[in-house]
Amino acid sequence: MTAPRQEPDPPVDDLAPRFCAGDEAALREAYDRYGRAVLHLATSMLANRSDAEDVTQATFVAAWLGRGTFDPAKGSLIGWLLGIGRRKVIDRMRASARETRVVETVRQLAEPAPTGPDPDRVVDRLVIADELARLPDDQRRMLELAFYDDLTHQQIATVTGVPLGTVKSHIRRGMASLKRRWEVDGAAPGPRPAGLSGAR
Amino acid sequence: MQHLDHDRLVFLALGETEADNGESTHLDNCAHCRVELQALRQVAGLGVETQGLADLPDPPEHIWQGIVAEVRAAEAVPSLTEARRQQATEPVTIVQRSNGSAAKPHTPGASGAESGGRSRARRRGGWSRWAASTVAAVAAAAIGVVGTVSVLRPDDPEPAPTPAVLASAPLAAFGSTPKAAQGDARILQNGQLHLHVANLPRVPGYYEVWLINPTTMQMFSVGTLGGDADALLPLPPNVDLKSYSVVDVSAEQYDNKPAHSGDSLLRGTLTG
Repeated sequence: MTAPRQEPDPPVDDLAPRFCAGDEAALREAYDRYGRAVLHLATSMLANRSDAEDVTQATFVAAWLGRGTFDPAKGSLIGWLLGIGRRKVIDRMRASARETRVVETVRQLAEPAPTGPDPDRVVDRLVIADELARLPDDQRRMLELAFYDDLTHQQIATVTGVPLGTVKSHIRRGMASLKRRWEVDGAAPGPRPAGLSGAR
Repeated sequence: MQHLDHDRLVFLALGETEADNGESTHLDNCAHCRVELQALRQVAGLGVETQGLADLPDPPEHIWQGIVAEVRAAEAVPSLTEARRQQATEPVTIVQRSNGSAAKPHTPGASGAESGGRSRARRRGGWSRWAASTVAAVAAAAIGVVGTVSVLRPDDPEPAPTPAVLASAPLAAFGSTPKAAQGDARILQNGQLHLHVANLPRVPGYYEVWLINPTTMQMFSVGTLGGDADALLPLPPNVDLKSYSVVDVSAEQYDNKPAHSGDSLLRGTLTG
């Protein structure tokens, strides 16, 4: 890619440094911004709604009390929060499994076993969704047409009236941003070994 | 070797075209392009799955209130990180302090966790005598859990556990109890069990709180609950929370039967 057009920089986001510095307003802001994603992760994985809410609460409490261990240079705040949430979800699933054994012993009643998708996949999805939302409008719009409407580059050019070459460049840049972000913030960062498609 | 054009890789990743013969040959022989394509395919697959994630519902406000309450409680005591720093400089050992007191945890099979708790418990030199002599089992239980997590994920960026709460358990409605009933149990650093309950069904008798060992199903009563939403119950100083890890709230009758009625209203498992 030669002489890439300079995309406008996203607005300066000082949430992460403020969070690290212990600015209480930043905790609320982080919750407003990322509470949805953490709760989604928890509700995707845990059958019991109150467990999911509790994990969400515990995630933000742990993040706030442990903010000294967050290094903004190593990843985003949402990536870090989802990492904490993911481990708390797994702890909770293990605890429920133990509890279910108790239940069966005491009352011969089985609680519904926790069900759900791979937590890493849910985290990766949320990270990609977050990055998609940060992309410049043109890039996001075209990727959404490709992802959600399964349109080809040519069809996107037709639908949007944007020249094919421009569509290509938006999609290529958008994909590159998503990939970079996924490699930094994904649940198992770094490119997966070839031939393991969908195996995670 | 000329790598495949990046636009082509994106096309292939989005499934717009199939690789032609030349491209397939190149991909077979070029790890760089193969890895790049693989990553782009993963990203494209994830991209497809993000539909709807931009419009997730707001979390309920009570979660936020819970966060604030827990943060306030935790900030009222020194952090575990600070305590660990003290540990490095304080040569006092818990072993000496607990000699002669009745507080040795006697958990068969928990020796590993116990010794971990003991070494970490050195930092508790500044605590009350109670803490110095008796909290080893509680600490062992809580730290045992943390230790396991660290081993599983050596680069675990998870922050240090909250200092005020050594272990906690969300309590959920059990059995036929209305689902609105719920609560939280927290083992506080001072050896108390903080219980918060909501929407417990009315019972003719009273509520009783238990700790249960899920392996052996042995249990003991921690106390009774009054009409308040919150209760602080002292735990036996030598309790082994690693074993007695299930918190249970039962409905009991004034029937001269001190054993658990079998009618559990809330239940949850402690985790560190």
